[in-house]
Amino acid sequence: MLRIEGLSAGYSAKPVLNDVSIDVGAGQFVAIVGPNGAGKTTLFKTISGIVKPSGGKITFDGVDLLAVPPPQRAHLGIAHVPEGRQVFPSLTVMENLEMGAMTESGRRDWRTNIERIFEWLPVLKERRDQFAGTMSGGQQQMLAIGRGLASSPKLLMLDEPSMGLAPSTADFIFERLIEIRRQSGLTMLLVEQRVAEALESADHGYVLEAGHVVLEGNNDTLRADDRVRKAYLGM
Amino acid sequence: MEGFLQALAAGLLIGAVYGLMCVGLGLIFGVMRVINFAHGDFMMLGMYTAFYLFTAAGVQAVFGNTVGPFVAILLAGPVLAVFGYFVHRTLISHVSGTRTASLEGEGHYAQLILTLGIALILQNGGLIVFGSVLASIRTPLSSSAWELGPFFDMSIFLNKARSIDMLVSLAMMILLSLLITRTRIGKSLRAAADNPTAATYMGIDVDRAHRTAFALGCGITAIAGGLLATNYPFHPFVGLEYVIVMYAGVVLGGMGSIIGAFWGGMTIGLVQQMSTLILPTQLQNAAIFAVFLLIIFFRPQGFFGRMVERT
Repeated sequence: MLRIEGLSAGYSAKPVLNDVSIDVGAGQFVAIVGPNGAGKTTLFKTISGIVKPSGGKITFDGVDLLAVPPPQRAHLGIAHVPEGRQVFPSLTVMENLEMGAMTESGRRDWRTNIERIFEWLPVLKERRDQFAGTMSGGQQQMLAIGRGLASSPKLLMLDEPSMGLAPSTADFIFERLIEIRRQSGLTMLLVEQRVAEALESADHGYVLEAGHVVLEGNNDTLRADDRVRKAYLGM
Repeated sequence: MEGFLQALAAGLLIGAVYGLMCVGLGLIFGVMRVINFAHGDFMMLGMYTAFYLFTAAGVQAVFGNTVGPFVAILLAGPVLAVFGYFVHRTLISHVSGTRTASLEGEGHYAQLILTLGIALILQNGGLIVFGSVLASIRTPLSSSAWELGPFFDMSIFLNKARSIDMLVSLAMMILLSLLITRTRIGKSLRAAADNPTAATYMGIDVDRAHRTAFALGCGITAIAGGLLATNYPFHPFVGLEYVIVMYAGVVLGGMGSIIGAFWGGMTIGLVQQMSTLILPTQLQNAAIFAVFLLIIFFRPQGFFGRMVERT
């Protein structure tokens, strides 16, 4: 569904991504793990068009994504749940979700989507009229996920949904994501620093270090790898 | 006492129009974070547009002297909105929105110089095209008043034109509030203001949202300008006199708050009219800024300054 080939990108002259190739098949749950500064967020921003690549190709559903203007990419079915949540603080929870549903499919499926989102993330229903900026980090993260789901995406990209959250909150959000995936069969691309949890639930994983894919494979391969065990799993 | 009530009434009437004028600028600043120094001159264009629509384009002939001016004023709004749309498309968009990433100081230096340049061109272009003679949109209502009262032997006189100006301003404010809070376009404008990057992730075209805000802001201020012109004569440099009031109103209301800008403008109108009770008229503007500084001293974020900062 999403195919990234030989992608290079960076800010001014400093390269952050170097010849990165990643494949996400329809219905797959793919995790990208790696340390801070490995280029994970830059990779997502390049997919969404906020960062312009210096080389390489991205195709989504057979469409050359780099030829599509950034705001149009959401309309193709890519939902980006950004790092640091980035909800709209002065909009209410409901209005944030409506912004997620700006795409044609989001508008069409609004009623069924909102019902399912409220079922998966009940806190959003309780707080539907609250301003997003006044919610806790965990609640904002759930709103960011709900906002992504409201667009009826084909691909949900999650950038470190556990960042800055208490471990128990992060666990809860992970559990919700796995449940959402189990029920919806949605294709997901996850970037995470909580490597053990990410690899456990993903079908396929990539290890990104200093802008390079240093390792890839299904979760058994990755978890059996000595370097991964030492560097990320603490074994 | 009678003088006080009379000044209060006058302040409320003019304050509503100032409020609308400030909202036009506040919308542009709130959504785009662009400091538009030319906004007073867009208002001047709005005044002349209303003037020529009324006198030369047949509005006077069709609607007469009483209703005609207000029809012309309301028509000037869309005209200036279209003008603003093209100014944004051809000029402002090059130094704002998604293009600022590559510019120094997030494009603010370029924005200042560009809008100052536009201001100079509009002022001097106006002088060439319209001449330096004072113009005004007079209606028979401008020189007649409704008498309120008498209550306890006191009556308050409300100038008819200014009263209608106020009603038109309030109606526009209500329409705009509904647009901003209820419609998809309004919500996407607020989302683009809150977080342009996240708005792009939602599929909102931030540059188009900016263009909409700029056009709306110009149209609204043009209508406010036309309303002012029913009582105050104007000339091509009139924008300079008002742009300072606009900025004071926007800052008073709280940078970024659209409703706040209205109350900021209202405050300025009230202070301006009330100050005439104790100060000579020449000191009206001094009074405005004394009160302005006082309010900002105690409440630096303005009346409706955001409690939640952008992430």
